[in-house]
Amino acid sequence: MDFISEGVQKAFQLFFSFDKEVFEIVLLSLRVSLSAILLASLLGVPLGFLMAIRDYWGKKFTITLVNTLLALPTVVVGLIIYSLISRRGPLGTFGLLHTPSAMIIGQFVLVTPIIIALTHSAVQGIDRRVRNTALTLGATEAQSAWAILKEARYAVLAAIITGFGRAIAEVGAAMMLGGNIKGSTRVMTTAISLETSKGEFGFALALGFILLLLALGINILLHYFQSRSV
Amino acid sequence: MSEVILEVKNIKKTYDTKTVLDIDYFSFSEGKVYALVGPNGSGKTTFLNILNLLDKPDEGQIFFWGQEINNKESNSNSDILKIRRRMTLVNQDPFLFHSTVYDNLAYGLKIRGIPPQVQQERIRGALNKVGLPGFENRKAYQLSGGEAQRVVIARALVLEPEILFLDEPTANVDQRHLEIVEKIIQKINEELKTTVILTTHDLSQAYRLAEEVISLLEGKIIREVPENIFRGELIEENGRKWFKVTEDLKLAVVTEKVGLAYLYIDPRDIILSYQHFQSSARNSFSGRIVKIAEQQNHLVRLEVEVGVRLITIITKESFQKMGLNLGSKVYLTFKASAVKIY
Repeated sequence: MDFISEGVQKAFQLFFSFDKEVFEIVLLSLRVSLSAILLASLLGVPLGFLMAIRDYWGKKFTITLVNTLLALPTVVVGLIIYSLISRRGPLGTFGLLHTPSAMIIGQFVLVTPIIIALTHSAVQGIDRRVRNTALTLGATEAQSAWAILKEARYAVLAAIITGFGRAIAEVGAAMMLGGNIKGSTRVMTTAISLETSKGEFGFALALGFILLLLALGINILLHYFQSRSV
Repeated sequence: MSEVILEVKNIKKTYDTKTVLDIDYFSFSEGKVYALVGPNGSGKTTFLNILNLLDKPDEGQIFFWGQEINNKESNSNSDILKIRRRMTLVNQDPFLFHSTVYDNLAYGLKIRGIPPQVQQERIRGALNKVGLPGFENRKAYQLSGGEAQRVVIARALVLEPEILFLDEPTANVDQRHLEIVEKIIQKINEELKTTVILTTHDLSQAYRLAEEVISLLEGKIIREVPENIFRGELIEENGRKWFKVTEDLKLAVVTEKVGLAYLYIDPRDIILSYQHFQSSARNSFSGRIVKIAEQQNHLVRLEVEVGVRLITIITKESFQKMGLNLGSKVYLTFKASAVKIY
């Protein structure tokens, strides 16, 4: 049982000494997941918004599709992107495999449906009178759409934060697409996985601790925005 | 003589196959207060939305200051938008943006590109007008129903509209705020000379506020002032529905509704007789004639006191044949289905 207490001790040591390797891994994790979430938001928020306010042919189908994609396993995303960007794949010439960019693509594919679905339901939940009120006050259709999005702002932020939580905590796609290369594509989740299998509990625990702290912070933020949106 | 600000010709609006609005001609003069009255579904709100250019009629023309509005195109079309921004509608069930009172009032000004300095002054002025000075930083969700109603009126006022449309401005407020809101409407019209077009269920309110009362029924303007409108309670006794107008006066009605309601009896649906007669009509009351007035088209309008004053319209011919006089004791008879509930 000693290895556990030793591991905890080591973890605190690494954490409080601001170990360079640990913090490089954390920074890379943040960089990859923040980039992915930024791109996913740029695509997902407008799409989710349009899905909610427009009527179009096949609307029900797209909603079902997006909701299905919420349950997309990370390894399946990893597999699909891998087959596309590996040397033999159609996008192989870009040499993306085992780079942070590949991980960003993987996480982007993973969280975009989340952002679309949650933005859709956030906007759907906005009072129908918002559009009409904006129009009576002299808004154009575009201005009234903006007013609706503004009313949904906290719920949309909550959607983005939920997506970020999913991105930073996933391991499957990051492992398959990044390859867990030290100093280049090693992020928190892949490092924890590797160090655990190596028996380096201290290192893994330190990272796990930081990941938990991040998750806590994300949830506090999420809770804050959700309570504001009511 | 004030000028015509808004004019409609041959306006028609149909939903599915039902004609909800059918108006040959109507003109609104600048600076006057108009009240649209009529039961639910009579087309009041549709008419208001068409006048405010938010809804398009299927047929017909609208003129603003004598100029025809080509509303075949979308309502964001720049010409229509310009006109649309010279009037404002306050909805029946007003919505406040989840923000401060100030932000709510600033919204319409911002989209018009009015500089912040001017915004601030206008907002202060509008809040003063509705009797809520210093409310700028209040959160919208902290307001009471009556305060919210005043804020939405202020939100319309900051835009300095030439026409202010109010859809049931007192439908969702308490008695105290009802009086306040009515005073505000009068003040707006007197001080700012704004043309006000409002809808209401309350005929007495219509007469208190408006110089002209327009009565709508099934989408059409009925020229006569609506008569025989009463407020009362719908009750059920022995499986039958009654409308209690006063403690002693109950009318047989046909309706699914319960609770407080308004009723309307077309004066031409009421039969006048000297004797009580046996008929299928379930409503028959006796009373004395208290007022007689001759009308156009060889008609005579009679007011009969039966606990409330019921008005009936008969032809001049019948009037003379029956030899009716002030004080004559008569029976008024009408079918339960002639009583329209709303």
